Amino acid sequence: MSTEAKKQIIDVGDGAAIPRKSDRGLFTAWRIAFFGAIGTIAYLVWSRPDPYLNILKFVPDGIAVTFQVTLGAILLAIVIGLITGLGRISKNRFFNGVASLYVEVIRGIPLLVQIFYIYYALGTIVKVPAILSAIIAMAVCYGAYMGEVVRAGIESIAKGQREAALSLGMNGRQTMIHVILPQAVKVILPPVGNEFIALLKDSSLVSIIAVADLLRRGREYASESFTYFETYTVIALIYLIITLFFSKIIGVMEERVSVNK
Amino acid sequence: MKALRTLTAVLALGLCFVSAAFAAPKAITVASDATWPPMEFVDANKKIVGFDIDFMTAVAKEAGLQVTFKNTAWDGIFAGVEAGQYDAIISSVTITPERQAKYDFTNPYVQIGQILVVPKAEKGTKIADLKGKKIGAQIGTTGAMEVKKVAGVELKTYDEVGLAFEDMAAGRIAGVVCDEPTAITYALQKKEYSSKFKIVGKSFTKEAYGIVVKKGNKELVAQLNKGIAAVQKKKIDVQLKKKWQLK
Repeated sequence: MSTEAKKQIIDVGDGAAIPRKSDRGLFTAWRIAFFGAIGTIAYLVWSRPDPYLNILKFVPDGIAVTFQVTLGAILLAIVIGLITGLGRISKNRFFNGVASLYVEVIRGIPLLVQIFYIYYALGTIVKVPAILSAIIAMAVCYGAYMGEVVRAGIESIAKGQREAALSLGMNGRQTMIHVILPQAVKVILPPVGNEFIALLKDSSLVSIIAVADLLRRGREYASESFTYFETYTVIALIYLIITLFFSKIIGVMEERVSVNK
Repeated sequence: MKALRTLTAVLALGLCFVSAAFAAPKAITVASDATWPPMEFVDANKKIVGFDIDFMTAVAKEAGLQVTFKNTAWDGIFAGVEAGQYDAIISSVTITPERQAKYDFTNPYVQIGQILVVPKAEKGTKIADLKGKKIGAQIGTTGAMEVKKVAGVELKTYDEVGLAFEDMAAGRIAGVVCDEPTAITYALQKKEYSSKFKIVGKSFTKEAYGIVVKKGNKELVAQLNKGIAAVQKKKIDVQLKKKWQLK
Protein backbone atom coordinates (compact mmCIF):
# COMPACT_ATOMS: atom_id res chain seq x y z
CA MET A 1 0.00 0.00 0.00
CA SER A 2 1.40 3.38 -0.92
CA THR A 3 1.63 6.26 1.54
CA GLU A 4 -0.80 8.27 -0.54
CA ALA A 5 -3.55 5.67 -0.28
CA LYS A 6 -3.18 5.46 3.50
CA LYS A 7 -3.56 9.18 3.86
CA GLN A 8 -6.81 9.07 1.98
CA ILE A 9 -8.19 6.35 4.16
CA ILE A 10 -7.67 8.18 7.43
CA ASP A 11 -8.97 11.45 6.03
CA VAL A 12 -12.54 10.17 6.15
CA GLY A 13 -14.50 10.87 9.32
CA ASP A 14 -18.05 11.30 10.48
CA GLY A 15 -17.42 14.79 11.80
CA ALA A 16 -18.52 17.98 10.09
CA ALA A 17 -16.67 18.71 6.87
CA ILE A 18 -13.66 20.91 7.53
CA PRO A 19 -13.46 23.73 5.01
CA ARG A 20 -10.15 24.26 3.26
CA LYS A 21 -9.31 27.33 1.27
CA SER A 22 -8.96 25.26 -1.88
CA ASP A 23 -12.47 23.85 -1.50
CA ARG A 24 -14.64 26.72 -2.66
CA GLY A 25 -17.95 24.90 -2.71
CA LEU A 26 -17.65 23.70 0.87
CA PHE A 27 -16.40 27.08 2.01
CA THR A 28 -19.52 28.81 0.73
CA ALA A 29 -21.73 26.09 2.20
CA TRP A 30 -20.00 26.68 5.54
CA ARG A 31 -20.77 30.38 5.42
CA ILE A 32 -24.39 29.87 4.47
CA ALA A 33 -24.90 27.28 7.21
CA PHE A 34 -23.04 29.21 9.92
CA PHE A 35 -24.50 32.64 9.36
CA GLY A 36 -27.84 31.13 8.38
CA ALA A 37 -28.04 29.34 11.75
CA ILE A 38 -27.11 32.46 13.69
CA GLY A 39 -29.55 34.52 11.66
CA THR A 40 -32.36 32.00 12.19
CA ILE A 41 -31.89 32.01 15.96
CA ALA A 42 -31.76 35.82 16.01
CA TYR A 43 -34.92 36.03 13.92
CA LEU A 44 -36.80 33.49 16.07
CA VAL A 45 -35.85 35.30 19.28
CA TRP A 46 -36.84 38.63 17.81
CA SER A 47 -40.15 37.48 16.38
CA ARG A 48 -41.26 35.20 19.21
CA PRO A 49 -39.40 35.89 22.50
CA ASP A 50 -41.76 33.41 24.14
CA PRO A 51 -40.67 30.62 23.87
CA TYR A 52 -37.44 31.18 21.92
CA LEU A 53 -35.77 33.73 24.21
CA ASN A 54 -36.79 31.68 27.24
CA ILE A 55 -35.22 28.58 25.70
CA LEU A 56 -32.00 30.50 24.98
CA LYS A 57 -31.91 31.74 28.56
CA PHE A 58 -32.45 28.24 29.92
CA VAL A 59 -29.65 26.36 28.14
CA PRO A 60 -26.30 28.25 28.58
CA ASP A 61 -25.10 26.18 31.56
CA GLY A 62 -25.88 23.14 29.41
CA ILE A 63 -23.57 24.48 26.69
CA ALA A 64 -20.84 24.89 29.32
CA VAL A 65 -21.29 21.27 30.38
CA THR A 66 -21.20 20.10 26.75
CA PHE A 67 -17.86 21.91 26.31
CA GLN A 68 -16.55 20.53 29.57
CA VAL A 69 -17.39 16.96 28.57
CA THR A 70 -16.06 17.38 25.02
CA LEU A 71 -12.76 19.04 25.97
CA GLY A 72 -12.13 16.71 28.90
CA ALA A 73 -12.92 13.67 26.78
CA ILE A 74 -10.84 14.71 23.76
CA LEU A 75 -7.74 15.43 25.88
CA LEU A 76 -8.04 12.13 27.69
CA ALA A 77 -8.81 10.35 24.40
CA ILE A 78 -5.66 11.79 22.77
CA VAL A 79 -3.53 10.43 25.63
CA ILE A 80 -5.25 7.05 25.48
CA GLY A 81 -5.05 7.12 21.68
CA LEU A 82 -1.33 7.83 21.66
CA ILE A 83 -0.62 4.96 24.03
CA THR A 84 -2.96 2.65 22.14
CA GLY A 85 -1.53 3.64 18.75
CA LEU A 86 2.01 2.98 19.93
CA GLY A 87 0.80 -0.29 21.39
CA ARG A 88 -0.77 -1.33 18.12
CA ILE A 89 2.54 -0.99 16.25
CA SER A 90 4.68 -2.24 19.14
CA LYS A 91 6.73 -5.40 18.71
CA ASN A 92 6.18 -6.12 22.39
CA ARG A 93 3.58 -8.86 22.21
CA PHE A 94 1.88 -8.08 25.51
CA PHE A 95 1.62 -4.32 24.90
CA ASN A 96 0.41 -4.94 21.36
CA GLY A 97 -2.09 -7.56 22.50
CA VAL A 98 -3.62 -5.35 25.18
CA ALA A 99 -3.92 -2.37 22.83
CA SER A 100 -5.45 -4.48 20.05
CA LEU A 101 -7.91 -6.12 22.43
CA TYR A 102 -8.96 -2.73 23.75
CA VAL A 103 -9.58 -1.41 20.24
CA GLU A 104 -11.53 -4.49 19.19
CA VAL A 105 -13.74 -4.54 22.28
CA ILE A 106 -14.52 -0.83 22.27
CA ARG A 107 -15.20 -0.63 18.57
CA GLY A 108 -17.66 -3.48 18.89
CA ILE A 109 -19.85 -1.81 21.51
CA PRO A 110 -22.20 1.08 20.75
CA LEU A 111 -21.22 4.31 22.49
CA LEU A 112 -24.60 4.61 24.19
CA VAL A 113 -24.18 1.17 25.76
CA GLN A 114 -20.64 2.05 26.85
CA ILE A 115 -21.84 5.22 28.52
CA PHE A 116 -24.50 3.35 30.48
CA TYR A 117 -22.07 0.57 31.31
CA ILE A 118 -19.21 2.76 32.51
CA TYR A 119 -21.56 5.05 34.42
CA TYR A 120 -23.27 2.30 36.39
CA ALA A 121 -20.22 0.03 36.61
CA LEU A 122 -18.10 2.86 38.02
CA GLY A 123 -20.97 3.67 40.37
CA THR A 124 -20.78 0.27 42.02
CA ILE A 125 -17.01 0.52 42.58
CA VAL A 126 -16.20 4.15 43.32
CA LYS A 127 -18.12 7.34 43.84
CA VAL A 128 -17.43 9.40 40.74
CA PRO A 129 -19.37 12.54 39.85
CA ALA A 130 -21.68 12.05 36.89
CA ILE A 131 -19.78 14.46 34.68
CA LEU A 132 -16.47 12.70 35.29
CA SER A 133 -18.04 9.34 34.47
CA ALA A 134 -19.33 10.87 31.27
CA ILE A 135 -15.87 12.18 30.36
CA ILE A 136 -14.27 8.81 31.12
CA ALA A 137 -16.88 6.94 29.08
CA MET A 138 -16.47 9.21 26.07
CA ALA A 139 -12.66 9.12 26.33
CA VAL A 140 -12.51 5.34 26.61
CA CYS A 141 -14.58 5.05 23.46
CA TYR A 142 -12.87 7.71 21.43
CA GLY A 143 -9.42 6.60 22.67
CA ALA A 144 -9.87 3.42 20.64
CA TYR A 145 -10.67 5.31 17.45
CA MET A 146 -7.89 7.76 18.19
CA GLY A 147 -5.51 4.82 18.63
CA GLU A 148 -6.28 3.72 15.09
CA VAL A 149 -5.71 7.23 13.80
CA VAL A 150 -2.34 7.40 15.56
CA ARG A 151 -1.36 3.98 14.26
CA ALA A 152 -2.29 4.87 10.70
CA GLY A 153 -0.49 8.21 11.02
CA ILE A 154 2.73 6.60 12.21
CA GLU A 155 2.54 3.90 9.57
CA SER A 156 2.10 6.55 6.89
CA ILE A 157 5.60 7.91 7.53
CA ALA A 158 8.01 6.50 4.96
CA LYS A 159 10.16 3.65 6.21
CA GLY A 160 13.28 5.48 5.04
CA GLN A 161 12.79 8.09 7.75
CA ARG A 162 13.08 5.50 10.46
CA GLU A 163 15.98 3.76 8.79
CA ALA A 164 17.82 7.07 8.33
CA ALA A 165 17.29 8.02 11.98
CA LEU A 166 18.49 4.64 13.18
CA SER A 167 21.54 4.81 10.95
CA LEU A 168 22.36 8.21 12.48
CA GLY A 169 22.70 6.41 15.78
CA MET A 170 19.33 7.27 17.34
CA ASN A 171 17.66 4.55 19.36
CA GLY A 172 14.09 3.40 18.79
CA ARG A 173 12.57 5.80 21.29
CA GLN A 174 14.50 8.82 20.02
CA THR A 175 13.49 7.96 16.48
CA MET A 176 9.84 7.84 17.49
CA ILE A 177 9.88 11.08 19.50
CA HIS A 178 12.14 13.23 17.32
CA VAL A 179 11.57 11.90 13.81
CA ILE A 180 8.39 9.88 13.35
CA LEU A 181 5.85 11.55 15.68
CA PRO A 182 6.51 15.18 14.61
CA GLN A 183 5.83 14.16 11.02
CA ALA A 184 2.92 11.94 11.95
CA VAL A 185 1.22 14.79 13.79
CA LYS A 186 0.63 16.60 10.50
CA VAL A 187 -1.04 13.52 9.06
CA ILE A 188 -2.97 12.84 12.25
CA LEU A 189 -4.29 16.34 12.83
CA PRO A 190 -7.14 16.35 10.28
CA PRO A 191 -8.66 13.07 11.47
CA VAL A 192 -8.19 14.16 15.10
CA GLY A 193 -10.10 17.32 14.23
CA ASN A 194 -12.83 15.15 12.76
CA GLU A 195 -12.88 13.01 15.89
CA PHE A 196 -13.18 16.13 18.01
CA ILE A 197 -16.25 17.29 16.13
CA ALA A 198 -17.77 13.82 16.13
CA LEU A 199 -17.15 13.70 19.88
CA LEU A 200 -18.77 17.09 20.36
CA LYS A 201 -21.90 15.77 18.66
CA ASP A 202 -21.81 12.42 20.44
CA SER A 203 -21.50 14.22 23.77
CA SER A 204 -25.26 14.73 23.49
CA LEU A 205 -25.54 11.03 24.40
CA VAL A 206 -24.42 11.77 27.96
CA SER A 207 -27.77 13.44 28.58
CA ILE A 208 -29.03 9.89 29.06
CA ILE A 209 -27.07 9.55 32.32
CA ALA A 210 -28.58 12.75 33.70
CA VAL A 211 -25.58 14.94 32.93
CA ALA A 212 -27.09 18.38 32.44
CA ASP A 213 -25.61 19.08 29.00
CA LEU A 214 -27.12 21.15 26.22
CA LEU A 215 -29.52 18.45 25.05
CA ARG A 216 -30.62 17.59 28.60
CA ARG A 217 -31.34 21.23 29.40
CA GLY A 218 -33.38 21.45 26.23
CA ARG A 219 -35.31 18.31 27.13
CA GLU A 220 -35.97 19.66 30.61
CA TYR A 221 -37.32 22.86 29.15
CA ALA A 222 -39.48 21.07 26.61
CA SER A 223 -40.83 18.59 29.15
CA GLU A 224 -42.32 21.35 31.27
CA SER A 225 -43.34 23.87 28.64
CA PHE A 226 -44.43 21.26 26.04
CA THR A 227 -42.73 23.31 23.32
CA TYR A 228 -40.92 20.33 21.86
CA PHE A 229 -40.64 21.55 18.28
CA GLU A 230 -39.43 25.01 19.23
CA THR A 231 -36.94 23.73 21.80
CA TYR A 232 -35.34 21.13 19.55
CA THR A 233 -35.11 23.69 16.75
CA VAL A 234 -33.00 25.90 19.01
CA ILE A 235 -30.93 22.98 20.32
CA ALA A 236 -30.17 21.78 16.78
CA LEU A 237 -29.16 25.28 15.67
CA ILE A 238 -26.88 25.75 18.68
CA TYR A 239 -25.14 22.43 18.00
CA LEU A 240 -24.78 23.42 14.35
CA ILE A 241 -23.21 26.76 15.22
CA ILE A 242 -20.78 25.17 17.67
CA THR A 243 -19.66 22.39 15.31
CA LEU A 244 -19.29 24.75 12.36
CA PHE A 245 -17.30 27.17 14.51
CA PHE A 246 -14.89 24.44 15.58
CA SER A 247 -14.60 22.96 12.12
CA LYS A 248 -13.45 26.38 10.96
CA ILE A 249 -10.88 26.65 13.74
CA ILE A 250 -9.58 23.19 12.97
CA GLY A 251 -9.39 24.09 9.29
CA VAL A 252 -7.24 27.12 10.10
CA MET A 253 -5.04 25.08 12.43
CA GLU A 254 -4.53 22.52 9.73
CA GLU A 255 -3.48 25.14 7.21
CA ARG A 256 -0.94 26.54 9.67
CA VAL A 257 0.58 23.12 10.14
CA SER A 258 0.70 22.36 6.43
CA VAL A 259 2.32 25.74 5.63
CA ASN A 260 5.59 24.91 7.43
CA LYS A 261 5.82 21.52 5.73
CA MET B 1 -94.50 -7.67 -4.25
CA LYS B 2 -94.66 -9.25 -0.84
CA ALA B 3 -91.49 -11.15 -1.55
CA LEU B 4 -89.74 -7.94 -2.51
CA ARG B 5 -90.87 -6.28 0.69
CA THR B 6 -89.55 -9.19 2.74
CA LEU B 7 -86.28 -9.02 0.88
CA THR B 8 -85.99 -5.30 1.56
CA ALA B 9 -86.72 -5.86 5.21
CA VAL B 10 -84.12 -8.62 5.46
CA LEU B 11 -81.58 -6.49 3.67
CA ALA B 12 -82.27 -3.51 5.93
CA LEU B 13 -81.97 -5.68 9.00
CA GLY B 14 -78.74 -7.14 7.69
CA LEU B 15 -77.38 -3.69 7.01
CA CYS B 16 -78.19 -2.72 10.58
CA PHE B 17 -76.18 -5.65 11.92
CA VAL B 18 -73.26 -4.92 9.64
CA SER B 19 -73.16 -1.22 10.51
CA ALA B 20 -73.50 -2.06 14.19
CA ALA B 21 -70.54 -4.39 13.89
CA PHE B 22 -68.53 -1.65 12.23
CA ALA B 23 -69.54 1.08 14.66
CA ALA B 24 -68.47 -0.65 17.84
CA PRO B 25 -66.12 -1.17 19.41
CA LYS B 26 -64.03 1.75 18.26
CA ALA B 27 -60.32 1.02 18.51
CA ILE B 28 -58.02 3.45 20.31
CA THR B 29 -54.29 3.40 21.03
CA VAL B 30 -53.16 4.50 24.47
CA ALA B 31 -49.57 5.42 25.34
CA SER B 32 -47.96 4.57 28.66
CA ASP B 33 -44.41 4.96 29.96
CA ALA B 34 -44.06 1.51 31.48
CA THR B 35 -41.29 2.39 33.94
CA TRP B 36 -43.46 3.45 36.85
CA PRO B 37 -44.45 0.49 39.02
CA PRO B 38 -47.01 -0.38 40.25
CA MET B 39 -48.99 1.92 37.96
CA GLU B 40 -47.46 0.83 34.67
CA PHE B 41 -44.45 -1.38 34.08
CA VAL B 42 -43.22 -4.26 31.97
CA ASP B 43 -43.47 -7.65 33.69
CA ALA B 44 -41.25 -10.71 33.28
CA ASN B 45 -43.25 -11.73 30.20
CA LYS B 46 -42.53 -8.38 28.50
CA LYS B 47 -46.17 -7.39 28.88
CA ILE B 48 -47.24 -3.94 30.01
CA VAL B 49 -49.10 -4.36 33.28
CA GLY B 50 -50.10 -2.27 36.27
CA PHE B 51 -52.99 -0.44 37.85
CA ASP B 52 -53.33 2.08 35.01
CA ILE B 53 -53.36 -0.67 32.41
CA ASP B 54 -56.06 -2.68 34.20
CA PHE B 55 -58.02 0.50 34.88
CA MET B 56 -57.83 1.66 31.27
CA THR B 57 -58.90 -1.77 30.03
CA ALA B 58 -61.92 -1.66 32.34
CA VAL B 59 -62.81 1.89 31.31
CA ALA B 60 -62.55 0.98 27.63
CA LYS B 61 -64.79 -2.02 28.15
CA GLU B 62 -67.44 0.13 29.85
CA ALA B 63 -67.15 2.82 27.18
CA GLY B 64 -67.33 0.36 24.31
CA LEU B 65 -63.78 0.99 23.12
CA GLN B 66 -61.13 -1.43 22.06
CA VAL B 67 -57.77 -0.46 23.51
CA THR B 68 -54.18 -1.20 22.46
CA PHE B 69 -51.30 -0.04 24.64
CA LYS B 70 -48.11 1.52 23.33
CA ASN B 71 -45.05 1.68 25.56
CA THR B 72 -43.68 5.19 25.08
CA ALA B 73 -40.80 7.05 26.73
CA TRP B 74 -42.06 9.68 29.16
CA ASP B 75 -39.95 12.47 27.69
CA GLY B 76 -41.99 13.40 24.64
CA ILE B 77 -45.09 11.39 25.53
CA PHE B 78 -47.21 14.57 25.37
CA ALA B 79 -45.78 15.54 21.98
CA GLY B 80 -46.95 12.17 20.65
CA VAL B 81 -50.58 12.68 21.62
CA GLU B 82 -50.46 16.12 20.05
CA ALA B 83 -49.04 14.68 16.85
CA GLY B 84 -51.75 12.02 16.80
CA GLN B 85 -49.40 9.05 17.20
CA TYR B 86 -51.85 7.69 19.76
CA ASP B 87 -55.27 8.74 21.00
CA ALA B 88 -54.68 8.99 24.74
CA ILE B 89 -52.10 8.70 27.53
CA ILE B 90 -52.62 6.77 30.74
CA SER B 91 -49.31 7.02 32.55
CA SER B 92 -49.80 8.36 36.08
CA VAL B 93 -50.28 11.82 34.60
CA THR B 94 -51.09 14.37 37.29
CA ILE B 95 -53.66 16.94 36.23
CA THR B 96 -51.95 20.35 36.42
CA PRO B 97 -53.10 23.74 35.13
CA GLU B 98 -50.06 23.93 32.78
CA ARG B 99 -50.89 20.59 31.24
CA GLN B 100 -54.60 21.40 31.06
CA ALA B 101 -53.77 24.47 29.01
CA LYS B 102 -52.20 22.25 26.35
CA TYR B 103 -54.14 18.97 26.55
CA ASP B 104 -57.55 17.74 27.57
CA PHE B 105 -57.96 15.54 30.62
CA THR B 106 -60.66 13.13 31.72
CA ASN B 107 -62.07 13.33 35.23
CA PRO B 108 -59.52 12.33 37.89
CA TYR B 109 -59.35 8.63 38.69
CA VAL B 110 -56.75 8.27 41.46
CA GLN B 111 -55.49 10.62 44.20
CA ILE B 112 -51.81 10.45 45.10
CA GLY B 113 -49.01 12.67 46.38
CA GLN B 114 -45.27 13.22 46.00
CA ILE B 115 -42.98 11.70 48.58
CA LEU B 116 -39.26 11.78 49.37
CA VAL B 117 -37.08 8.66 49.40
CA VAL B 118 -33.60 8.87 50.94
CA PRO B 119 -30.77 6.52 51.92
CA LYS B 120 -31.25 4.87 55.34
CA ALA B 121 -28.53 7.01 56.97
CA GLU B 122 -30.11 10.33 55.97
CA LYS B 123 -31.57 12.36 58.88
CA GLY B 124 -33.49 14.94 56.84
CA THR B 125 -37.20 14.36 56.36
CA LYS B 126 -38.14 16.89 53.71
CA ILE B 127 -36.66 18.37 50.54
CA ALA B 128 -35.60 21.57 52.34
CA ASP B 129 -33.47 19.48 54.73
CA LEU B 130 -31.27 18.41 51.85
CA LYS B 131 -29.98 21.88 50.98
CA GLY B 132 -26.74 21.92 49.02
CA LYS B 133 -27.34 18.35 47.86
CA LYS B 134 -28.68 16.81 44.67
CA ILE B 135 -32.15 15.34 44.48
CA GLY B 136 -33.25 13.20 41.57
CA ALA B 137 -36.60 12.96 39.81
CA GLN B 138 -37.91 11.86 36.45
CA ILE B 139 -37.77 14.57 33.79
CA GLY B 140 -40.97 16.56 33.36
CA THR B 141 -42.78 15.01 36.32
CA THR B 142 -44.56 16.81 39.13
CA GLY B 143 -41.84 15.38 41.41
CA ALA B 144 -39.19 17.28 39.45
CA MET B 145 -41.28 20.44 39.65
CA GLU B 146 -41.57 20.09 43.44
CA VAL B 147 -37.78 19.79 43.83
CA LYS B 148 -37.26 22.81 41.59
CA LYS B 149 -39.47 24.90 43.88
CA VAL B 150 -37.09 24.51 46.81
CA ALA B 151 -34.17 26.94 46.68
CA GLY B 152 -30.70 25.61 47.47
CA VAL B 153 -31.39 22.06 46.31
CA GLU B 154 -30.03 20.90 42.98
CA LEU B 155 -32.48 19.00 40.80
CA LYS B 156 -31.13 16.17 38.69
CA THR B 157 -33.52 14.86 36.08
CA TYR B 158 -33.56 11.29 34.79
CA ASP B 159 -35.26 9.65 31.82
CA GLU B 160 -36.63 6.94 34.10
CA VAL B 161 -37.22 7.05 37.83
CA GLY B 162 -35.42 3.69 38.16
CA LEU B 163 -32.19 5.34 36.99
CA ALA B 164 -32.57 7.93 39.76
CA PHE B 165 -32.90 5.18 42.38
CA GLU B 166 -29.86 3.41 40.93
CA ASP B 167 -27.89 6.66 41.14
CA MET B 168 -28.94 7.08 44.75
CA ALA B 169 -27.75 3.54 45.46
CA ALA B 170 -24.40 4.55 43.92
CA GLY B 171 -24.28 7.57 46.25
CA ARG B 172 -24.47 10.20 43.53
CA ILE B 173 -27.67 11.84 44.78
CA ALA B 174 -29.10 12.37 48.25
CA GLY B 175 -32.78 11.79 47.56
CA VAL B 176 -35.45 10.91 45.01
CA VAL B 177 -38.90 12.48 44.75
CA CYS B 178 -41.68 10.59 42.99
CA ASP B 179 -45.31 9.50 43.32
CA GLU B 180 -45.98 7.68 46.57
CA PRO B 181 -47.05 4.31 45.07
CA THR B 182 -43.88 4.18 42.98
CA ALA B 183 -41.76 5.21 45.95
CA ILE B 184 -43.26 2.36 47.95
CA THR B 185 -42.46 -0.12 45.19
CA TYR B 186 -38.84 0.97 44.89
CA ALA B 187 -38.00 1.71 48.52
CA LEU B 188 -39.93 -1.02 50.28
CA GLN B 189 -40.63 -3.83 47.83
CA LYS B 190 -37.54 -4.15 45.65
CA LYS B 191 -35.03 -6.49 47.27
CA GLU B 192 -31.99 -4.53 46.06
CA TYR B 193 -33.21 -1.28 47.56
CA SER B 194 -35.30 -2.10 50.63
CA SER B 195 -32.18 -2.46 52.79
CA LYS B 196 -30.71 0.82 51.52
CA PHE B 197 -33.57 3.30 51.25
CA LYS B 198 -36.39 4.60 53.39
CA ILE B 199 -39.42 6.79 52.78
CA VAL B 200 -39.46 9.89 54.96
CA GLY B 201 -42.38 12.03 56.00
CA LYS B 202 -45.81 11.91 54.43
CA SER B 203 -46.71 12.70 50.87
CA PHE B 204 -46.56 16.49 50.60
CA THR B 205 -48.74 17.20 47.58
CA LYS B 206 -52.33 16.41 46.70
CA GLU B 207 -52.53 15.35 43.08
CA ALA B 208 -54.95 13.47 40.87
CA TYR B 209 -54.24 11.36 37.83
CA GLY B 210 -56.23 11.86 34.66
CA ILE B 211 -56.22 10.33 31.19
CA VAL B 212 -54.77 12.72 28.59
CA VAL B 213 -56.21 13.25 25.11
CA LYS B 214 -55.44 15.74 22.36
CA LYS B 215 -56.84 19.21 22.94
CA GLY B 216 -60.29 19.49 21.44
CA ASN B 217 -61.08 15.76 21.27
CA LYS B 218 -64.24 16.24 23.31
CA GLU B 219 -65.86 13.09 21.99
CA LEU B 220 -63.16 10.80 23.36
CA VAL B 221 -63.07 12.67 26.69
CA ALA B 222 -66.83 12.18 27.03
CA GLN B 223 -66.58 8.48 26.18
CA LEU B 224 -63.74 7.92 28.64
CA ASN B 225 -65.51 9.88 31.38
CA LYS B 226 -68.56 7.69 30.85
CA GLY B 227 -66.31 4.64 31.19
CA ILE B 228 -64.60 5.99 34.32
CA ALA B 229 -67.99 6.71 35.93
CA ALA B 230 -69.18 3.19 35.18
CA VAL B 231 -65.97 1.64 36.55
CA GLN B 232 -66.24 3.69 39.73
CA LYS B 233 -69.92 2.84 40.12
CA LYS B 234 -69.16 -0.87 39.85
CA LYS B 235 -66.27 -0.40 42.32
CA ILE B 236 -63.88 -2.03 39.87
CA ASP B 237 -61.30 0.65 40.74
CA VAL B 238 -61.49 -0.35 44.41
CA GLN B 239 -60.71 -3.96 43.49
CA LEU B 240 -57.84 -2.84 41.28
CA LYS B 241 -56.37 -0.69 44.05
CA LYS B 242 -56.39 -3.74 46.28
CA LYS B 243 -54.82 -5.86 43.54
CA TRP B 244 -51.96 -3.40 43.00
CA GLN B 245 -51.67 -2.50 46.70
CA LEU B 246 -52.51 1.16 46.43
CA LYS B 247 -53.65 2.96 49.52
